[in-house]
Amino acid sequence: MTDVTMTINGQTRSASVPPETTLLQLLRENFNLTGAKLGCDVGDCGACTVIVDGQAVNSCLMLAGQADGRQVLTIEGLASREHLHPIQKAFENSGALQCGFCGPGVLLSAKALLDDNLDPSTQEIRDALSGNLCRCTGYTKMIEAVQEAARLLREESRTQLTHARPEVATP
Amino acid sequence: MNEHSRVLERDKLDIAEPLSDVELRLPAVLPRESYPIETLTPDARQQTRAVGQRVTRPDGRLHGLGQTKYIDDLSFPGMLYARIKRAGIASARIKRIDTSAAEAMPGVMAVLTGKEIPVNSFGPSFQDQPVLVDDLVFHAGDGVAAVAAVTEQIANEALEKIVVEYEPLPAVLDPVAAMREDSPKVHAPNSNIYATKTIRKGDVEKGLAESDHIFEDRFSTQMIEHVSLEPHAAIADWDANGRLTIWATIGRITLARADIARTLKLPMSRIRIIGTIVGGNFGGKNEISQEPALALLSKKTGRPVKGVFTRGEEFTSTTTRHPIIMDYKTGVTNKGRILARQIRLVLDGGAYCSWSETTLGKACILAPGPYKIDNVLSEAFVVYTNKTMTGAMRGFGAPQVCFAYESQMDDIAKKLGIDPLEIRLLNAFDEGSPSPTGQVLHSVVIKESLRKAADRFDWEPRS
Repeated sequence: MTDVTMTINGQTRSASVPPETTLLQLLRENFNLTGAKLGCDVGDCGACTVIVDGQAVNSCLMLAGQADGRQVLTIEGLASREHLHPIQKAFENSGALQCGFCGPGVLLSAKALLDDNLDPSTQEIRDALSGNLCRCTGYTKMIEAVQEAARLLREESRTQLTHARPEVATP
Repeated sequence: MNEHSRVLERDKLDIAEPLSDVELRLPAVLPRESYPIETLTPDARQQTRAVGQRVTRPDGRLHGLGQTKYIDDLSFPGMLYARIKRAGIASARIKRIDTSAAEAMPGVMAVLTGKEIPVNSFGPSFQDQPVLVDDLVFHAGDGVAAVAAVTEQIANEALEKIVVEYEPLPAVLDPVAAMREDSPKVHAPNSNIYATKTIRKGDVEKGLAESDHIFEDRFSTQMIEHVSLEPHAAIADWDANGRLTIWATIGRITLARADIARTLKLPMSRIRIIGTIVGGNFGGKNEISQEPALALLSKKTGRPVKGVFTRGEEFTSTTTRHPIIMDYKTGVTNKGRILARQIRLVLDGGAYCSWSETTLGKACILAPGPYKIDNVLSEAFVVYTNKTMTGAMRGFGAPQVCFAYESQMDDIAKKLGIDPLEIRLLNAFDEGSPSPTGQVLHSVVIKESLRKAADRFDWEPRS
């Protein structure tokens, strides 16, 4: 067994798991965080995407032990208790998620992009989402949603609000 | 400071207490804005206030929060994990199955073979598909045995301990060769051609004879898997009252209930199917697959049993889109008017019928294309082969024939030196045109659509 301790959605968590356990299995089975999905188990589809130390990773390809001591953000930690994250708000308003199975991965890929770049070009958004497959083929609306989220986040950073995030008006 | 670290900083403030799983989730459940409900019955083609309005999906909030519960996100106390052993051979007779080594493994709670299934056949039109094969293997993705174990890993290991001896049989892989009388039969003694459809309009021989040019082409398409992001998954719970509850990723739960009742010889009133949110269907989840096997494993063990297909099983053991071999013979005038079209479609049906009859009919009817053609003969055949079964997929055969007739339209236009848009406008349906089956068509806007599309992307005549 391998002992792992990591910060998940801001909380320190530990577990003792067989060494072959993937980060995805650790999240889903040990911590009941079922937002990240098992789509292909070989790193093709991106449904298992989470953010580890600021980087979007396929959690089905990362062993739990490799995430030891690192910061992990899953879809469950994206919203605050009071508010949706602007990316979630934008995806909801744009109707960018259909069956929703790819959604958590797509949102976190978008988050990793927007953390680095608050004004991404369409091509940069496409590149950031290139590891996330959607079979309902809603890519166009996803790209619009990421652009909208970037706009909301730019506004937010201009107003310099450090406490509660202001509720964004529904268009 | 980026968003991620801001979230972390805020949460550091109250990190001292012992943590429950609940605290890892941050529920942001906002009251949804409701839309004003107006009772309004619009006339046909009337622009109502609903049309053109932005809407959001009712389930979009949960999708974005990652809170939507798909099958694999559910679990129950004592739940077991099922895996199915696949044949890996296209056509064979099963000589022997030895499951004793698998059954003896610690953690393996039950093993199921096809002989234990009360009525081992199902299907939406022909009941020709076994839940688990018991005597003959019809394609490589067939299940031969199912295992329920306390973990998925033990179930996988148990599959390797199941010994199956096969006597290989000749496999039928080419659908055209499968139509010959001397071909080996997939489901002997029945013919490999299991459904046909013919549509006749006018006199195709006469029409071809009157034509200035005859175009003869063969088009073919490939097998396509739906690849819905969520694999096929189900949980079965056969309780002590003899009642069966199944959580399933099935789009047609009522049909599934009837099929499951039949295979299990159980009254429908004892079966409850809970259709969860489906993570992509596209026609691939329109029938049952592993559910009866999971139900029987649950009956054997007295515990809920979950089964989730691997991505590999999605490709080998679930339905796909029909490959079609399409022969088109089209007679046209010098000016590009189509006088006659003779079509022969051979659909590769794979090992089982599934939704092939529906696909066959729609492909046959739509094969001449949206064009005014007075003389049509369209014949379609669907044949068994020892391949992954084909079934419903978006369009039920329409995309395949569209590829064929539109490709041929381009060939005709090029040969006759006519603009590809013009030849379509010359032949396309008008309001009130009869379809090849004699249906009078209304709301026909194909010409307006083509003109508008050509205008939008600056179509320049290429001829």
